[in-house]
Amino acid sequence: MWKAALACWLAILAMPATAFPIHGSQTVLPVGSELNEDALERPREVFRSEALGGRKSYLVNLGDLAFSSPTVLGGTARQAGMSCSTCHVNGASNPRFYIPGLSTRPGNFITTSALFNAKANNRLLDPVTIPSLRGARFLAPYGHDGRMTSLRDFVHNVIVNEFAGPEPSPQIVDAIVVYIHDIDFLPNPRLGPGGRLTAQVGEPARRGEALFVKPFPHDAGLSCAACHVPSAAFVDHLQHDVGSGGFFKTPTLLNANFNAPYFHDGRYDTYDRVVEHFDHLFGLSLSGGDQADLVAYLKAVGDGRQPYERDGVLPRLAEIMDFASVLGAAIPAQDTEVITLAVDTVGGELRELTEEFPSPKDTNVSAGREERRLARAALKDLVLCLRRVDLAAAGGRFDEAADEYINFRKLTAAAVPVALQNAEPSSLFDPVIHDAHYAALRQIYEAADRSSR
Amino acid sequence: MKHLNGSVAAAGEPAASRHVAEDVDVVRGRVARFLPRLVLVCTVLAAGAARTEPLLDDAAERYRPLMAEETDRSLAGVRAMREAVLAGDVDAAQKAWIVARVGWERAEVFTSGFTELDREIDAWPNAATGFHAIEAKLFGAGRLDVRPEADALIFHLTDLRAKIRDTRLTAQGLLDGAAKLAYEVGESKADGGESRFSGTSLDDMRNNVDGLDSVFRIVFASAVEARDAKLAEAIRGTIGQLQTLLQVPVLARLDSRTLRAASEELIIAFQTAAPLLGLQRPSLQDLVQQ
Repeated sequence: MWKAALACWLAILAMPATAFPIHGSQTVLPVGSELNEDALERPREVFRSEALGGRKSYLVNLGDLAFSSPTVLGGTARQAGMSCSTCHVNGASNPRFYIPGLSTRPGNFITTSALFNAKANNRLLDPVTIPSLRGARFLAPYGHDGRMTSLRDFVHNVIVNEFAGPEPSPQIVDAIVVYIHDIDFLPNPRLGPGGRLTAQVGEPARRGEALFVKPFPHDAGLSCAACHVPSAAFVDHLQHDVGSGGFFKTPTLLNANFNAPYFHDGRYDTYDRVVEHFDHLFGLSLSGGDQADLVAYLKAVGDGRQPYERDGVLPRLAEIMDFASVLGAAIPAQDTEVITLAVDTVGGELRELTEEFPSPKDTNVSAGREERRLARAALKDLVLCLRRVDLAAAGGRFDEAADEYINFRKLTAAAVPVALQNAEPSSLFDPVIHDAHYAALRQIYEAADRSSR
Repeated sequence: MKHLNGSVAAAGEPAASRHVAEDVDVVRGRVARFLPRLVLVCTVLAAGAARTEPLLDDAAERYRPLMAEETDRSLAGVRAMREAVLAGDVDAAQKAWIVARVGWERAEVFTSGFTELDREIDAWPNAATGFHAIEAKLFGAGRLDVRPEADALIFHLTDLRAKIRDTRLTAQGLLDGAAKLAYEVGESKADGGESRFSGTSLDDMRNNVDGLDSVFRIVFASAVEARDAKLAEAIRGTIGQLQTLLQVPVLARLDSRTLRAASEELIIAFQTAAPLLGLQRPSLQDLVQQ
């Protein structure tokens, strides 16, 4: 089964680039920037509270909302509509993220550059990868170099220093930390208690497991498992110099199949290259077979159940409902900070969702015109409904705001999902329409690029 | 004569009835202050169907000359562009395209009512025809092989010009058009906006807001003023706020969050004004009929 999952993963990586880079003369981010926002496959997000049979708390939903809000950041990021979740898509990473001048390869970028915060610019070409936040509560210290023991401090640093955001209120930082703490690893049926392989794993991976714990020939105190401690989420919470240009913390191997590229700067695309690196560094003299066994082991450890999910009307609406749910508590509490954050962020998400249903002016799509028209109108009504919530709250009319929010809940419970699902086959969620849409756009932009060279 | 009233809220629209009930409440709340003026409005609402006051439709008629003027200006621009294309002058063709856009964007309050023509003239983003197809070639690629597209655009703008002469203007149609255009102004432009090859997205938005300003002043301002002076002032204030926000030097500096909020507030103000004027709440639905 894990082979099927791996094959699926490799197939996704090998797919022709469907992502659509930024073009034009007036964009906020440099032309050629790639946020991969049009991907139809999204990392699946698993929440600890739900996995245990509970439900996400108000704080988790508020943190998730703030995590998806461009207004939490500042400067270029905010102008470009970027939020924490632009890089950490559904709490995972974004291997296609690329900004010309800041990235040396897809999946990494310089976090201390003039583009996002001139005050933090250290003029170093020091790109780092975007880490997945799955299981982050087990993975202190934070930052690739492990410079911060507190996740709260780290979140604050990312917002204020890396992305020039305004000083966040304590409740927002707290909520983001609670949200990150709730993001779980994807379950991995190949791993049992203590990080040991289960019975369903094949021989090569078992031989790899033996090699993983075997003392190194030149230093019996060292082994792969000495740093990547299997019983402790495959980390040791320490920084080491492994010949990659300084001290970096031991990364977890859990769900790492979905975290390429590897090393702090993303220099390696595959486990094969990583194993080669350590073979060379520690003089392990591994045979080709040994290396293949270690790779098989890493693939078993790094696996996860159902790593991706298809984007569509239902997952989008579920997320929007979760975000908007904070209004249920914030309105009676007269918390205008959270009300405005929710109205801004959910309104933005609703406007983005509207664009998944091409307007009558899009001559590239002909099917489902009436359905798309109704879907777009339903979403615009929701945007205005939320704006009324904010206007009423800003005017101190919280009962009116509560009534508008009840109206929002009613619309999102039945009428809107039906309208959107009716239009989904003629939307950009349909792979054929999606690919045709971006192919047509790409054709226009490539013609422009060719002539400007 | 065709009636441009297709954007009245569809019968199946969710919550439409609730909103109408709510609007009635709003009206009732103001009765004490504006009783004499509201008698007519309340009578219309009580009759079960909001009907436009004839006077307001007369006011809508006053908008026709401006619309004709803007369309003529657009048409003249496209004709000049075609001449420049034939003369092989890329610079002149680009300049003429920009002139042609001004009139078009200002008339959008009205032109969005002609779905099929709108689609031919202003197709977006994958445009095979119209302004943006020409823009991609002329500005994006510096190419002059746009004669067939220019001919088609002249044909469709001429058609639009004729329709403007023959179509009865209604206050409802113009309010719907204004609400839809206000919503469009609030859309994210972080990716370069509508006219990303010519770099005139910001001008598009400014001209859209100028169009909103014109239609409000010419058609609705005095009627709203007479019924709710504060609301009229709020609408003028929000339009002014949009204009101020759009005074940034480059698109990348636009405060899109505030712009979006203001655009949505403007629509809500239009929706509040509608029942006071005997109109239905403006709908944001894209039209299908012409």
